[in-house]
Amino acid sequence: MVLVLALGDLHIPHRAADLPSKFKSMLVPGKIQHILCTGNLCIKEIHDYLKSLCPDLHVSRGEYDEDARYSETKTLTIGQFKLGLCHGHQVVPWGDLDSLAMLQRQLDVDILVTGHTHQFKAYKHEGGVVINPGSATGAYSSITYDVNPSFVLMDIDGLRVVVYVYELIDGEVKVDKIDFKKTAPTQSAP
Amino acid sequence: MGKKGVPEWLNSSLWSSKPCTDCPPIYASEPLKPESPPRQRSPPPPQPPPPPPKLEPPASLQGDPGSPKFSPEEISRQSQILSELSKKVINIGELRRLVCQGIPDGARIRPTIWKLLLQYLPNDRAFWPHELEKKRSQYKSFKDELLQNPSDITRRMDESAHVKHAVLNDESRALLQRSEITHGEHPLSLGSTSVWNQFFQEAEIIEQIERDVKRTHPEMQFFAGDSCFAKTNQESLKRILIVFAKLNPGIRYVQGMNEVLAPLFYVFRNDPEENNVAHVEADTFFCFVELLSGFRDNFCKQLDNSVVGIRSTITKLSLLLKKHDEELWRHLDVTTKVNPHFYAFRWITLLLSQEFEFADCLSIWDTILSDPEGPQETLLRICCAMLILVRRRLLAGDFTANLKLLQHYPATNIGHLLYVANKLRGPFISIFISLMEKPYNRYGLHVFVQAFGSYWRYSVIIAGLKFMYLFDGKMGKAVFNRLLGARHPLKSIKTSLPKEIHTKNGVNFTSVAKLNE
Repeated sequence: MVLVLALGDLHIPHRAADLPSKFKSMLVPGKIQHILCTGNLCIKEIHDYLKSLCPDLHVSRGEYDEDARYSETKTLTIGQFKLGLCHGHQVVPWGDLDSLAMLQRQLDVDILVTGHTHQFKAYKHEGGVVINPGSATGAYSSITYDVNPSFVLMDIDGLRVVVYVYELIDGEVKVDKIDFKKTAPTQSAP
Repeated sequence: MGKKGVPEWLNSSLWSSKPCTDCPPIYASEPLKPESPPRQRSPPPPQPPPPPPKLEPPASLQGDPGSPKFSPEEISRQSQILSELSKKVINIGELRRLVCQGIPDGARIRPTIWKLLLQYLPNDRAFWPHELEKKRSQYKSFKDELLQNPSDITRRMDESAHVKHAVLNDESRALLQRSEITHGEHPLSLGSTSVWNQFFQEAEIIEQIERDVKRTHPEMQFFAGDSCFAKTNQESLKRILIVFAKLNPGIRYVQGMNEVLAPLFYVFRNDPEENNVAHVEADTFFCFVELLSGFRDNFCKQLDNSVVGIRSTITKLSLLLKKHDEELWRHLDVTTKVNPHFYAFRWITLLLSQEFEFADCLSIWDTILSDPEGPQETLLRICCAMLILVRRRLLAGDFTANLKLLQHYPATNIGHLLYVANKLRGPFISIFISLMEKPYNRYGLHVFVQAFGSYWRYSVIIAGLKFMYLFDGKMGKAVFNRLLGARHPLKSIKTSLPKEIHTKNGVNFTSVAKLNE
């Protein structure tokens, strides 16, 4: 029962001032085991804030990040699942399923978390699942101004993952979930 | 052997003793004069031959759980207990009486006896299978209900709501279906009824339990270490404590409960019967609940200052000490200002499990659990006896020395301790018990073996001292004390103290006189 938070594209302080207060009240330390941040935080203060929520923080480089030391892609294994992290501006066309599937095969992961489009999406294809947590602050993207703040919390439990989608719609937090599971366990890496 | 000072009043005139009826033949050569003049403080002259070294006593009568040595008297008691146990309807009063002096555990009957004493098993043997079945299935349902994590609970809710699952590896491309969450349950929920929220609130308690379990008895292979066995035992302890904490929102988990649980679990896990070992967790859980029910007020913080809380219990101990040994009480409380809370707190809340070796702790628990007076009263008496046994050192020490001594209580002869504790009973109870029981042969025999077995070399010196005593009682007695330490043979409750010794040393013997009424 591992809780993994996936969020990104905060664009603080350039495009948004802070996370919505309703989100902040829910995100308390001690509950979450891992954080996957797709990128574009952009400043160190946000990095520290996320670090306070959970010490195991993974960030990938977004084009507006001020810290140049983040890597472009990251992979990690949590339980039976392999997760991959990438900001997504490198993958052209932005948000295209086939190109993201190509990246997923390249990284060889079950779940790929990318951002950049600021729209929540969850695709499934032969190789695995692509999750886009959207923008946690609702900052405008390169494509559109119409963005709802959203983030994703994954509950990885054995071979089953429950993805809880938190969206702020008209000032209210709406929670949905997506359930999926793997059939075969991952081979342990030699 | 410890050469501890003996409380004067305990050591006086007690060298005369009734011959133990089950003495082995070897002692027949040392005639004990049953009514030898009490004035003669020295033991009956150590006649040849002193017992050969092979009868050297073990450090404590129960010894290590592996290979205890038993005296014939104990073997007879064990057979009495076994016969009592094999009856169809067990007389609990009789069993208590027999067990009160300890369980010689050659036949490994301790688990069954403890279960009977804690009223987990009914008196009638015929009902045992039924009761066990009932209790064990009850525990299983507790576990299933309480030890789930929220993921499992939500999954169960989903299954009842028929939510679709997508499968990862199948050959299709699609946008994943979003679905409604059931009952507003999500991991970051802050609602008080939310399963997740409750889980996170209890996570702290569970973490605390885990930490304590890891630290239980680090010196024992059974509990600590990397072996698979130790780990499964730790897991069992953890589960029992978690179920208890969840079922008792009033006291939850308090540090120290793991120490009270550990001996119970150890004893039940070492049950020779396979069936019992398979269900050790359930049995331990219910016995733990029963044991704690007598003591739960000690763990409740709110009750600390109330009439039933830990403070009043400690006060009771203090008063008990005052009643039996005023000089020591005054020295501790008033002169050196050693507040009983400093040492007695751990003694009482943990039922003395931290003060002695594990095997000794099991024998003390035999007495605590079986005494007809009730566990708390017995515990207080034993604590009082502990204080009295080291009174010489306490009287000589200041605050620091006394505190250090009491917080690291020195290793002591458990049989002797329990004997003294027994002597501290209220007068009516002691009369009642003395009318019902044989004299404490066990203690007397043990003391003899110790005194003569170890000190046979000094028989000449002892004889010389005895001679000296005849001429100058005080000095002889003092040196004698020092040499032989805290050993004294059995004193039957029925014989009375000579008036002479009362006055000789000027020590207050009134409490002793009371015991002998």
